[in-house]
Amino acid sequence: MLNLVLALLSGVVGALIVAVMPKVRNRIRNLVVLLFTILGAVFSWRVALLVFAGKNIKIAGEFAGFSWSINPDPLGVIFALIASSLWIFAAVYSFGYMEGKHNQRTYYTFLLLALSVTLGVAFSGNLVALYLFYELLTLVTYPLVIHERSPEAMKSGKKYILYSLSGAGVILIAIVITYSLAGNLDFAGNAILAGSTGSGLNLLLALFIIGFGVKAALMPLHGWLPGAMVAPTPISALLHAVAVVYSGAYGIVRVVYSVFGHELVRQLSFSRIMPWVIAFTILMGVIIAARQNVLKRRLAYQTISHLSYILLGVFTFQPWGLAGAIMHMISYSTLKVSLFFCAGIISEQTGEKNIDRMRGIGWLLPKTMVALSVAALGMIGTMPLNTFWGKYYLMKGSVEGGMWPLAVVLVISGIINAYCFIPVIVDAFRGEKVQGDTEKGSKVNLMLAPTLLLSMVSILIGLWPGIVWPGVEAVVNWFF
Amino acid sequence: MISAITTNLPIFVIIIPLFIAFILPTFSRRMKLVEGVVISTETLWLLGAGYLASVVLLQNGTPIIYNMGGWAAPWGIELKVDSLGAFFMIVVTCINLPVALFAKGNLTKEVGAKERVTRFYVLLLLLGGAMVGMALTNDLFNVFVLVEVATLSCCGLVSANSNPRASEAAFKYLILATLGSTFVLGGIGFILNITGYLNMGFAHQEMVQVWQNSPHAIWLAMSFVLIGFGVKSALFPVHVWLPDAHSNAPTPASAILSGLAVKGYIICFLKFMYTVFGQNLMQQFNMHKILVLAGMIAIIAGSLFALTQNELKRRLAYSTVAQIGYLFLGLGLMNTKGLTGTLFYLFSHALIKSSLFLAAGTMIAATGKKKISDLAGVGRKMPITMGVFTIGILGLIGIPLFSGFVGKWYLLLGSLESGNILAAIVIIVGSVLCAAYLLPIIRIAYFEPAPEKDLRDPALPQKIALIMLAAGVIILGILPGSILELASRAAAELLMIQ
Repeated sequence: MLNLVLALLSGVVGALIVAVMPKVRNRIRNLVVLLFTILGAVFSWRVALLVFAGKNIKIAGEFAGFSWSINPDPLGVIFALIASSLWIFAAVYSFGYMEGKHNQRTYYTFLLLALSVTLGVAFSGNLVALYLFYELLTLVTYPLVIHERSPEAMKSGKKYILYSLSGAGVILIAIVITYSLAGNLDFAGNAILAGSTGSGLNLLLALFIIGFGVKAALMPLHGWLPGAMVAPTPISALLHAVAVVYSGAYGIVRVVYSVFGHELVRQLSFSRIMPWVIAFTILMGVIIAARQNVLKRRLAYQTISHLSYILLGVFTFQPWGLAGAIMHMISYSTLKVSLFFCAGIISEQTGEKNIDRMRGIGWLLPKTMVALSVAALGMIGTMPLNTFWGKYYLMKGSVEGGMWPLAVVLVISGIINAYCFIPVIVDAFRGEKVQGDTEKGSKVNLMLAPTLLLSMVSILIGLWPGIVWPGVEAVVNWFF
Repeated sequence: MISAITTNLPIFVIIIPLFIAFILPTFSRRMKLVEGVVISTETLWLLGAGYLASVVLLQNGTPIIYNMGGWAAPWGIELKVDSLGAFFMIVVTCINLPVALFAKGNLTKEVGAKERVTRFYVLLLLLGGAMVGMALTNDLFNVFVLVEVATLSCCGLVSANSNPRASEAAFKYLILATLGSTFVLGGIGFILNITGYLNMGFAHQEMVQVWQNSPHAIWLAMSFVLIGFGVKSALFPVHVWLPDAHSNAPTPASAILSGLAVKGYIICFLKFMYTVFGQNLMQQFNMHKILVLAGMIAIIAGSLFALTQNELKRRLAYSTVAQIGYLFLGLGLMNTKGLTGTLFYLFSHALIKSSLFLAAGTMIAATGKKKISDLAGVGRKMPITMGVFTIGILGLIGIPLFSGFVGKWYLLLGSLESGNILAAIVIIVGSVLCAAYLLPIIRIAYFEPAPEKDLRDPALPQKIALIMLAAGVIILGILPGSILELASRAAAELLMIQ
């Protein structure tokens, strides 16, 4: 329990220290930030080990007549591990990326706060706690989205907050309905609505999916995500490819498996529509991505597509499908973060944001290009990378669930993903070979180190999926 | 001695503030003394209200009945401290004390002369006393008299500073509010004619038996009461006086007007509807549907109007119009959860809106500008003021851990219980719109570059007042305990009357 409390508090405490710290050298502040992100990750790992060992860690209480509980289970723990581990990479990357930029104090304060809130989402043990942290996540990430303070950033920030708050409002209605149906909102034990009947359940499921679908960028609710790319790159990488969007996807997994239970959802007619909405999002996302010229926007639309991979696994209602969803959650996150990091390095070191002007850039940034190629292969889902396994399980799950067209959709999406990235990499090494010191100096080293490390981690998991498999298995066994 | 005080407390909580209000002008030149007397009266008043509320809570719902002059009803006038009355008494005193504290040593700048400051305190106490009286009295004509007292004090409060726009707003308010009072009086006249009683309990019993003889008269009485109190509590579309009045009044006055004054009339309306007509008659004449509909329209329209305002205080004033919609919506739900939600939301909104107006007034006074866009960077220079303002905004949007969330939760439960999913959706849409018109203020205040001007937080009494209100918002959001208990009990009692 102490581990759980410390995991949740490390971000908040760090944020408070950063906020009140007198103006010191950036290096000292960076060390504080690094220390507290590492603490957050360490304690999350300890919680994870306890949960995987079968311990039930629970903090519960009441506010205003609502009982809330924080009670991690394997699914939540996996989310927490992904988030808190990647937070370290993003923090180190930020030290390089943010060097010499304005408003660093605000940036780091909210970065640390967002860590705590994300862990809160992951560890929450009932809908009240989940709603609370989900709502808070919107508020603490808003300052990060508008970090540039430009009119464009303000506009995107407004869009972000209105989309998210509307989604949260829909969730609130759904929670109220669930509460009046079941009188209980805890995830532990049987699914909350197990055994209920009635035509209203379809509507309820729809409300939940719409609500969480906003953050999970399910089409047509994805409008905020491309705009949010105006944020600094580490934020786009960490929050808009992982933490925030995963909290939406995580919410949907929760709704399907802990609120309704897969036996019940399977019978609802709404759940038969969902795979097609998801397939549409997968294909449309990546097709729109292929048409974008700004690298970060291309990545954003591709995020939309890949998030729906996770949802696809959820809506097969098969153990392999869920395994694929979890596996994809883990492996996609490492590669997408590294992909965004590459985009950040390119734009920081050369000033290029548009793909058509990146010709020949590979000679200036060879290491970045290596990382970019690895990540690109991962997005396609080829063999030596971790995303291969996720995709493989997803296809297996779809076929077992009698939905083989979904497996075809995944293959097509892989091909379009290849079309998105291979030309970029090939173009990068065209033209005159130029020499330069674009990839030298402490700033770029701080950015390169986490990027390359993430590529290595991805390859490692790809070659040896057994490292993460016990976690995936624990989640599947938990729900099936 | 002690027992003499406690047995007569129900009348003291009404009379003493009124009495103090009358003697204040005799030493109006000695500012320190005036302020001291007012603040100590307010504190004692809060203690008295708290004592009565705890007695009512401990008696498990048996109301304290106080017969004035020893004459029993229906001949004498009856004061009835039931859960509803106790609840509203707490609301009034909890808002009045911080507002009086805020005015301490701060008001002279805004209203001009010392005499005017004393006048403000006189009106504040009169208004408070009348509000408590409205909640406690069980007599229809008493209600009318107290409503008039409250209306005239509000009018005085609006024009407490000598600016011409304020006088104009006060005049507008006076005309409309008098019209409202006339309708209320008309309604009371009908009730007296139909039943022959002015005591609410007796009138109700008679009404239930004879209503079929004159359904049209009952319908008229109900409509008159709705229109009368609707005008006074600024129910859309008869809210037109509110934005001018609330945005031109001096800061503490707008806080009390927006936070408290409109709520008093809602409590009166609630008493008329549920204790005089009773829920069966309300349903008979579809009053509940009208209320829900009016509430929904007010939420949406008020929020949309608020979105278009550029002046800080006007935006807050239109936000009040929207929030009043929530209260009327809850009144029409006709179930315990919905009514509990209304009452709790009423308290929550009273705390939030008064803190917002006080903080807004402080910022306007410091920067000298009224526009929202002129608040750039204020958050960094005035951390306490803007912090309180932020808490208020989060509460109004209905973020969990703040009081607004609890109220909205019960309103949502109530609307789903009555099968009205549209109402639930409107409640949520209202929250999102609320975020849309209030969050930009936070953004501007914190994330835009600060001006060179030297701004700082106000003096100690103002700080304490602001922090008290913000603390209330958070305490009600996390540990609403006995307040929620009182509200839900009041709701249950009102619904027991058929």
